[in-house]
Amino acid sequence: MAAEPRVMGLFADDAKAARAIRELAEAGFTFRRAHGPIPSDRIREAAGGRGSPVGWFTLAGGIFGFAFGFALAIFTAAQWNLIVSGKPVIAIIPFFVVGFECTILFSVLGNVVGLLVCTRLPDFRGLETHDPRCSCDRFGVLASCPAGREGELLEFFRKKGAEVRVWP
Amino acid sequence: MSELSFARIDETVLGTLAPPRRGYWALVGALCLGVLLGAGCWAYQIAVGIGVGGQNIPVCWGTYLINFVFWVGIAHSGTLISAILHLLRAGWRNPIARAAETMTVFAVCCAGLFPFIHLGRVWQVYYMLPYPNQRQLWPNFLSPLMFDVIAISTYLTVSALFWYTGLLPDLAAVRDRAEGFRRKVFRVLSLGWSGAHDQWLHYSRGYLFFASLATPLVISVHSVVSWDFALGIVPGWHTTIFAPYFVAGAIHSGLAMVLTLMIPLRRIFRYEAIITVEVLENVAKTMILTGLLVGLAYGTEYFIAWYSHNPVEWESFRWRAVGEYAYGLYFMVVCNVLLPLLFLVRSVRRSLAWLFGLSLVVNFGMWWERFVIIVGGVAHDFAPHAWGLYAPTVVEYGIMAGSFCLFFLLFVLFCKHLPSVSMTEMKETVAHGR
Repeated sequence: MAAEPRVMGLFADDAKAARAIRELAEAGFTFRRAHGPIPSDRIREAAGGRGSPVGWFTLAGGIFGFAFGFALAIFTAAQWNLIVSGKPVIAIIPFFVVGFECTILFSVLGNVVGLLVCTRLPDFRGLETHDPRCSCDRFGVLASCPAGREGELLEFFRKKGAEVRVWP
Repeated sequence: MSELSFARIDETVLGTLAPPRRGYWALVGALCLGVLLGAGCWAYQIAVGIGVGGQNIPVCWGTYLINFVFWVGIAHSGTLISAILHLLRAGWRNPIARAAETMTVFAVCCAGLFPFIHLGRVWQVYYMLPYPNQRQLWPNFLSPLMFDVIAISTYLTVSALFWYTGLLPDLAAVRDRAEGFRRKVFRVLSLGWSGAHDQWLHYSRGYLFFASLATPLVISVHSVVSWDFALGIVPGWHTTIFAPYFVAGAIHSGLAMVLTLMIPLRRIFRYEAIITVEVLENVAKTMILTGLLVGLAYGTEYFIAWYSHNPVEWESFRWRAVGEYAYGLYFMVVCNVLLPLLFLVRSVRRSLAWLFGLSLVVNFGMWWERFVIIVGGVAHDFAPHAWGLYAPTVVEYGIMAGSFCLFFLLFVLFCKHLPSVSMTEMKETVAHGR
């Protein structure tokens, strides 16, 4: 089966792009993706979808880091079971510093892993339908349609005030 | 900023990445020579021994530790600007956020070198790492020096990741306008970022978490650095005020370095429409606050030394004001507290010459603050028969000059090869009108 043709409408502002995204389904076309040089709340709302789960990765990293930091400090102190400067061998207050720093470190590492997983980066294949103008000053709306309706989709975008680009 | 458009922002910032002229390479060459000088001095110290430095009983912590604290301090305002002001939605930080973040990463790199240099036998650095070695000797996490290892390595990792994450959309913008080999390089560096709406959703959330995590980190890191001193019982060091005192001083010196770097950058790259005088003025206004906080800390130290009726503590502070290093105290009070008050005058904080001049003055004063604290404490502590003085040697001056050259070399290389202003954040500023 031949792949559905994909057309991108390039808009000068995100409000017009968001309006086009909302009306695509009513016109019988399939919205694929929107691209832009900045994050846009209008486009995000129009495109729908759920919130970002990145925070869960961050939280998991933080919990692991907190436990790891304390465990590391306790383990190393326990290997030399000597009282230093009158402090207990397992001293909670100084070990909190290690626990805190490891919490931050692993939270950030979890955040980075979450970002990479959720954004599916690195993703060089996604650039096949990327227009360079979308990293400058245009908001691109990528849509697809059944074979034979490319003309209608092109006309749809043109009526909305967009420049168009077609991918086979 | 009303005259700015998305296209103009791209044109201005990407224009700075054009092939450099001879003057640029001459500057890079001169800075490389400075770095080589520092590396040569360090190599000499490794070959001959740590004794070529001026550190000796009772002053065992000299310029190496002064420069360590100085560079960690410089790093802090980058995180203030990129993380704390981001959370506070201060739009004026957008034009300078990228350069400040970059400054943070490079300053932490320079800071991280000094404990290695100070070690003497640098090849035994692995003893600081928690791993099972042949003697089953583990690091002791009761020591503030081990807190430092964890804190500084965390700060370097977090700052570098925060910086790179912020760069991603801009790297993609460079990729989309580059050709040939350069395009391939930026294609890899940008990880295939396409600015898709779902990418932005996760990116915005992740960036917010980055900022939220970097904020307590930046406060903790310089607090930990201050505890290197405050957890010792040396008079002048053993005080609970050190953590907030060091954090305020760090941000003060870092803001001064931001001005030192931004003013020439603005001029050379013709960033006048992006880095406006109002942006620099806001940095100066923040410096009035940090300068007053630092002044409050200086005053509180003296007040508590007097009010405590502790003769050793009082003698230590009396000596700071009238002893051999008294000039250091006056440098720090005048340069860090009094002269920045000139920023209360509007015409001063809107004059580039004044801003640049006063930023240099504060950098100078903040270096001397670290000298007074670090050297002054141990040079004149409990027992009069153990008092002694310290003076840096040529080797130490060489290493110090090398670290400054390394910092500026990295920054100069960055400015010409990566976007020195965040195009994405500037576009957001234009789009949202703030």
